[in-house]
Amino acid sequence: MTRDQLKDYIGSKYASLMTPLDTGRFDPMFEVKADRLFEVSRALRDDENLKLDFLCNMHATDTRENFEIVYSIASITTKLRLDFKIVMPYQNAEIDSVQEVWPAANWYEREMWELFGINVKNHGNLKRFLLPDDWNQGHPMRKDWDAPDFVRMPEIQ
Amino acid sequence: MSAVRTEEFMVNMGPHHPSTHGVCRLLLTMDGEKVIKIEPYIGYLHRSIEKICENRTYHQCIPILDRFEYVTAMSCNYVFSLAAEKLAQIEVPERAEYLRVIMLELNRIASHLIFFGTTAMDLGALTPFLYALREREYIMDLFEMTCGQRLTYNYIRIGGVSRDIPAEFVPKCREAIKIIDQKVDEYMALLNGNPIWQKRTIGVGYLSPELAVAYGVSGPILRASGVDFDIRRDDPYSIYDRFDFEIPVRPNGDVFDRYMLRLDEIKQSVRIISQALDGLPEGEIKAKVPLKFKPPAGEVYSRIENSRGEMGVYILSDGTEKPVRVKTRGGSYNHLQVLPEFATDILIADLVAIFASFDIIMPEVDR
Repeated sequence: MTRDQLKDYIGSKYASLMTPLDTGRFDPMFEVKADRLFEVSRALRDDENLKLDFLCNMHATDTRENFEIVYSIASITTKLRLDFKIVMPYQNAEIDSVQEVWPAANWYEREMWELFGINVKNHGNLKRFLLPDDWNQGHPMRKDWDAPDFVRMPEIQ
Repeated sequence: MSAVRTEEFMVNMGPHHPSTHGVCRLLLTMDGEKVIKIEPYIGYLHRSIEKICENRTYHQCIPILDRFEYVTAMSCNYVFSLAAEKLAQIEVPERAEYLRVIMLELNRIASHLIFFGTTAMDLGALTPFLYALREREYIMDLFEMTCGQRLTYNYIRIGGVSRDIPAEFVPKCREAIKIIDQKVDEYMALLNGNPIWQKRTIGVGYLSPELAVAYGVSGPILRASGVDFDIRRDDPYSIYDRFDFEIPVRPNGDVFDRYMLRLDEIKQSVRIISQALDGLPEGEIKAKVPLKFKPPAGEVYSRIENSRGEMGVYILSDGTEKPVRVKTRGGSYNHLQVLPEFATDILIADLVAIFASFDIIMPEVDR
């Protein structure tokens, strides 16, 4: 299946769940509603034609307006690759855990909770691991985070 | 006489343990000699590389990412450049692509040599470490000749490479890979027939292919569990589709297979390098990329096959000269995650063997 065929396939089969985003020349990118995340993940993994069983990467981004959580997934058998993202408001950001589908998500979700303050439902092990145990200065990967000793790079002329 | 009272107890392995290769703490729950629970604690090397990158221009990100996985710093340079080139649709000159492949494969060999030496050392054989570092020296000399650095290269840049190779590079490189190719057979002769080595590695630390895929395990460890997947072939990047090489796969998924697979990979890398040296064209080494590099708004995830599995970089650009978000993905992050699954009646000495066979490097985990 080529990238265009993959786009068409998802467009016809999962039109109600995944909205294609125009990212032009890169791997296909879709948007998923936060409350359908688990359903989508399971469908993509179990689909006989896709078998997207490998979670490459997962991360959150602070765009200053809202959070975007991107899942980059691939398949070992069919060699396909796609990304999908969830856009959610700043206040009370919360997502479902996808550990049941891809166990690899465990640490990625933990990191997201720690550095961005996005709550993960049904995670089971939300403990600090990158920052010091006694950290009390908020979530450093947020764009509005600041600390007294945080120095920004000067602009290049 | 009353019966002997027994209870479980905890052991802290690390953060400064000789076999954790960096600062990683494993909290072990022990039942006598058996490990029944493993809990990894990371973060001792967290340098917030991703946050630093948000605050820099694209060109300034590359030397920072050298420190992301310093044993194969060429790959870190490359994966970021690849993502930026995909965003800005930059055509890389032919000669630069060849030079990149040569450097990436040389770095893969250097990394696997380190693995060979340190794994043997963790299991009590000191000699292979000296041999491995002796051969690695040839590669370090080549890198020093090319870019002046032996560890953090900053050589592969957006659009090409930073400078051309000197005239003596090609003959020196041919000589080095010829020696390394012969030495790999010597390494195998040194260890494979050794009964102590066999007892410590064969059948130890079995990782099933299902578990490996579920936990995002990639690279040599995945292929040692019998899964035939290599990004160089299955999601090709650069010019890897032009070379004739094999992807070694081994079925048993134990420590011995993980060790042998890496030695097999050194031989394949030697094949790629010698083909790349034969086909090395003349010409430009860098595309024209402005100092104020502003890729168009967009996002891209690029992934490559590193010596420690899949290495990826995700860039979100808003059209300015600084990225909005840079996310790095290293293989070791997932490999450390799967470690607690091994806590089924293994001895603490086997845990050292398993940990060594995973070739985990902590800067890649903590970032």
